[in-house]
Amino acid sequence: MAGTFGSLGVALSGLRYSQVAMDVANSNVANVGTDGYVRRRVVAETMGGTVPALWSRDQNSAEGVRVSGLQRMSDVFLDARVRTEHANQSYLDTRVAVLDRLESGIGEPGGSGVSAALAEFRASWQNLGNNPGNAAARSQVLAAARTLADSFQLQGRNLDTESAELRQRIVVDVEQINVLAADLAATNANISDATLNGIDAGALLDQRDRLALALSELTGAKATLRPDGGFNMQLNGVQLVDGREAATLTVATGINPDGTGDGSPVTYQLTSSAGTSAVSPGAGLGALTELVDVTIPNYRAGLNSVAQQLADDMNTIHTSGFDLNGVAGTALFDYDPADVAGSLGVLITDGDLVAASGIAGGGLDGSNADLLSTSAGVESSYQRLVAVFGTEVASAHRLASNQQTLTSQVDNLRESLAGVSIDEEMVNLMAAQRTFEAASRVLTTLDSVLDTLINRTGLLR
Amino acid sequence: MAITRVTQNMMVRQSLTSIETNASRLAAKQEELSTGRRLNRASDSPSEAIAAMRVRAESAELKQHARNADDGLGWLNQLDSSLTSMTDQVRRARDLALQGANDGSMSQAGRDALAVEVDQLRESLISVANTDFLGRPVFGGVTAGADAYDANGVWIGTAAAVNRTVAPGVQVQVNVNGPDVFGPTGASLFDDLAALSTALLTGNTAGVRTGIEALNGRLDTLTTTQADVGIRAKRLEGVLSDAVSKELTLTTRLSDLEDADLVRSALDVKLAEVAHQAALATSARVLSVSLMDFLR
Repeated sequence: MAGTFGSLGVALSGLRYSQVAMDVANSNVANVGTDGYVRRRVVAETMGGTVPALWSRDQNSAEGVRVSGLQRMSDVFLDARVRTEHANQSYLDTRVAVLDRLESGIGEPGGSGVSAALAEFRASWQNLGNNPGNAAARSQVLAAARTLADSFQLQGRNLDTESAELRQRIVVDVEQINVLAADLAATNANISDATLNGIDAGALLDQRDRLALALSELTGAKATLRPDGGFNMQLNGVQLVDGREAATLTVATGINPDGTGDGSPVTYQLTSSAGTSAVSPGAGLGALTELVDVTIPNYRAGLNSVAQQLADDMNTIHTSGFDLNGVAGTALFDYDPADVAGSLGVLITDGDLVAASGIAGGGLDGSNADLLSTSAGVESSYQRLVAVFGTEVASAHRLASNQQTLTSQVDNLRESLAGVSIDEEMVNLMAAQRTFEAASRVLTTLDSVLDTLINRTGLLR
Repeated sequence: MAITRVTQNMMVRQSLTSIETNASRLAAKQEELSTGRRLNRASDSPSEAIAAMRVRAESAELKQHARNADDGLGWLNQLDSSLTSMTDQVRRARDLALQGANDGSMSQAGRDALAVEVDQLRESLISVANTDFLGRPVFGGVTAGADAYDANGVWIGTAAAVNRTVAPGVQVQVNVNGPDVFGPTGASLFDDLAALSTALLTGNTAGVRTGIEALNGRLDTLTTTQADVGIRAKRLEGVLSDAVSKELTLTTRLSDLEDADLVRSALDVKLAEVAHQAALATSARVLSVSLMDFLR
């Protein structure tokens, strides 16, 4: 049987427990909007339950309560799934955003852009073919040629600007990844210390999850749980964060220190105390790398080949014709073979030198102009280029929206487990309040019992 | 039964997602309605976009071909009226020659008068042979000069075809080179007329008869050429009238491909708007309810 005041201790433990329960409900409610906060639950256990000593005759009938710990309502497997899906989503979202910008720069189909300029150019040759002697028709051809060259150059410039911006963004992202990795390493150290000291590490674990998610979204790195509660992060099997140590991610090739391209593909390396190894990040950074290395150069190459086809075709036909004075025509377009679309220019400035005639020695023949207006191939090459790019954009959109469904689903699952429900916390709070009130009532009752025992017992008056 | 835990955050996020989805759908439909175009970028539908680009190119080509045909018709009509007037004048010259060929009833003075009229007809024919269309002599080939024949009836043009492209790969010649219809310099219509005039002046009736034969031959050539010109003009007119109906077909096709169906778009906008309002209203109701409303 408990000692005289033992019952008071039991009531006190009830009061303490309900206070903790109210505190936890309070902090859950306070953090309802905190990003990455995982709700806590009080786990209570009965006091006592110790292994009885030999010959022990304890007949304790009242057992108090104590808080055995605060449970963080998270699921490591679900969190890993969330990181994977967020990494995929970040890859696709980055791609979609950039592709959309590129596509609007192309401006097809529409009344401006290369294909409209091309149609205008062809029509100007036909007009010249109808009036080979007309100076206005001649200068119109040259103006249309310049517009066409400009529209190729504009598209080329758009692509170059986008590439340059993406390179800058890669540099910034790499910087951010290093900061996040260092933060995660520091958090790992804190968690390890807190676990050693037996302090509740809930807030640190929230921070750890938040940093790991951000790193996954940027690089696609995988997290593994350490025995001391921290996270190790691996990128292609190489440690990005290993306990208290964070490796440094650097751009190995492809980008100069000033953010300009050096002509080679963008590659990365991780440097840590274990040495330096090459890595190829996925997710957001992977999408940027792919756009800079593959998508934009491919389209650029396609555009270059269309521009070159146009310039070569036109030059061949133009040089086989004769100008207004009956002299053989010269090349109409010039370009730098290394960058055709970006350097396409018109060589001829004098309208009389436009070779509309197919007959040597002067005369108002328009047969060469007619040939120039009908030379086939360029339009369909360009249409194919645009259509292939459009398909790529449409497919990226579709994939991103499918992935969004998946991402929302795991986010919902995680929220369903870890999210704070205000209604639930209110109920918990009320329960704790009632527990507190009940424990207080027990205390009052005990007090009154003791009053009877101490003050009234044995009084005869 | 498993109870899914639903938190306020989930409801907030769900509401935000549906509001944003509906708003973006509304914006897309509104873009369709306000631009009147369904295909605003290639990725809206790559295959239709490429078809639209083709139709656009084809339509531009068709318009150009119609312009070419129009221009060609100008040339051919000019040729036709020149040839008509020339045929009349050559026929008149032949009539004069027939009069001059009568040995008995015609005095030399009469023949001299006929010769003067033949000379005048020759000059007039040379000037008709120099007819131009928009500054270019229609019988002069591709000459850069203003005339096809000089004052002596010598051809000074450059022989070549003036073609108009009226369909992909189809060209129609819209000029007639002078020598093809009037004969080569030295044996041309104008030389025949000069010889006839000389024969009349010298009273050489045999020469006059040769002249008549020659003029008959020229008349045949003129008529044949005119018929040929007429056939070519007919063809260009066909191209023009075809172009009108083809243009309509292409415009319809382009509109089918690119343009928004306004009625449908308006309906879609309305639907999207209703969905958006529903999302807003639901959010307003669901998010405002909490247990707190019922606790005192």
